[in-house]
Amino acid sequence: MPKNLTTDVLVIGAGPAGSMTAKWAAKKGANVLMIEKRQEIGSPVRCGEGMSKDWFSEVGIKAGRWINVEVEGARIYSPSEKLLEINEKHAGNEVGYVVERDGFDKALAIDAANAGVDVKLKTAATAILKENGKVVGVRAKEFGEPFEIRAPVTIGADGFESQIGRWAGLPTNIALRDMDSCLQYRMTNVDCDVRYCDFYLGKVAPGGYVWIFPKEEGLANVGIGVQVSQIRNPAEARTYLDAWIKNHPAYAKGKTIDVVGGGVSISPPIKQAAADGIMLVGDAARMIDPLTGGGIANGCIAGKICGEVAAEAAAAGTPTKEFFQRYEKGWRARLEEKLYRNWLAKEKLCSLSDETFDKIFDALEGVKLEKLTVHNILKAVHTKYPEVTREFESFL
Amino acid sequence: MPSQQGKKTLHIESSGQLCIYCGACVGICPLNCIYLDETRITFDERICTRCEICVKACPVGAIEIG
Ligand SMILES: Cc1cc2nc3c(=O)[nH]c(=O)nc-3n(C[C@H](O)[C@H](O)[C@H](O)COP(=O)(O)OP(=O)(O)OC[C@H]3O[C@@H](n4cnc5c(N)ncnc54)[C@H](O)[C@@H]3O)c2cc1C
Ligand code: SF4
Ligand code: SF4
Repeated sequence: MPKNLTTDVLVIGAGPAGSMTAKWAAKKGANVLMIEKRQEIGSPVRCGEGMSKDWFSEVGIKAGRWINVEVEGARIYSPSEKLLEINEKHAGNEVGYVVERDGFDKALAIDAANAGVDVKLKTAATAILKENGKVVGVRAKEFGEPFEIRAPVTIGADGFESQIGRWAGLPTNIALRDMDSCLQYRMTNVDCDVRYCDFYLGKVAPGGYVWIFPKEEGLANVGIGVQVSQIRNPAEARTYLDAWIKNHPAYAKGKTIDVVGGGVSISPPIKQAAADGIMLVGDAARMIDPLTGGGIANGCIAGKICGEVAAEAAAAGTPTKEFFQRYEKGWRARLEEKLYRNWLAKEKLCSLSDETFDKIFDALEGVKLEKLTVHNILKAVHTKYPEVTREFESFL
Repeated sequence: MPSQQGKKTLHIESSGQLCIYCGACVGICPLNCIYLDETRITFDERICTRCEICVKACPVGAIEIG
């Protein structure tokens, strides 16, 4: 049986949010242990692998070998496939990458290890340890052997499937309309354009979208997210994705070499991400951008703040809910407003008919958009179809 | 087929023929009663209310209630 352990900061889950939290806690001087139930960090991949990069310096990420392509912008298609092309690179903006997510996750874990973090794989948290209502660590299994890990600060970075938060009594349950059921094929022999990430909106993917993220010439991640509240039959994500591919010859001729699935929360920011002895970060704290479905950046940004507060709390011997307000204030100041606004925008977009989508795209035709923001789009639509934007008044 | 308690049965086809171990069902289950270990899915029969939410959330249709 593995020996029981104690540490200052215990991080559960070695995804981007967990590694980032662990790294910054160690840099601030804490003893940190990060446990991961998988046998390989970052694998299997559950991701479209697209990310912006303007936040890298904030959290200390350097571009590495995990980059597949640097894209120039996005192409967004309406239900009748009117095109809105946004070339951010031409406008001088930082754009983003399509990456090897398993390599990215490993690079972040290596950064954490280099900062002094201990890492244990094949080690799953199986229950929360509580004393006097405070979280004081977890019960875990390493290679199937049960043991206990005690720590003044426990961090739930256990991703979308997070159970740590719910075991601790934090409000992380999500409504059906606040989740997308996702499926993605990595396809070879397709005609993708490596300069753009493509998005298809409307009834082809109710409450979500179809995405094409190119990895190299001829190779792309082709995926779909469908809002769970709009799902009527089992396996509908797959049915929609297969139908979309069938209707698009550039992809119908492709061959699938990998199948990826998963859940993505598209929820408003949660009300409470910390309690006595515990903080949640990343997907576990439902920090995914509800409009784009991207969660890597937010998880890393909040992870840095979380790690620093964790180390401070351990050093001061005050791992209390009150102390963790520093984390709550920090991540909310950085992310909350955008999460909330984008959730409102998502709610609106999910209610639009294909016809309205097409109108919006029609209004945008010929308009030069340099940066894709809800605000910019609505402003452009406003001139031609004020009645469409009336519903969005609060955003303008 | 109803089980002894009169509940419907929930079956997760997790032998690998359907399930892709993506965790979508785990994250959405309102009672937090599904568990995923790399390639093994289990759920707590006693807690599950057969609400069928996981059935909808599963992208490949690996969960059946009947
Ligand atoms: C199909 C799909 C496509 C996506 N595409 C994109 C995209 O293109 N761009 C983007 O930015 N985001 C995307 N996302 C979202 C993105 O993947 C997540 O936001 C991101 O992975 C969150 O990082 P995390 O560290 O919070 O959680 P995760 O990366 O999920 O890491 C959590 C880790 O915790 C481990 N764990 C869980 N439970 C336990 C336990 N009990 N004990 C020990 N370890 C445990 C897991 O094994 C996992 O390694 C996508 C998601 C899906 C499902
Ligand atoms: S039927 Fe409902 S309670 Fe039962 S496992 Fe599925 S989501 Fe959970
Ligand atoms: S949602 Fe479906 S495919 Fe994913 S883990 Fe659950 S049963 Fe398996």
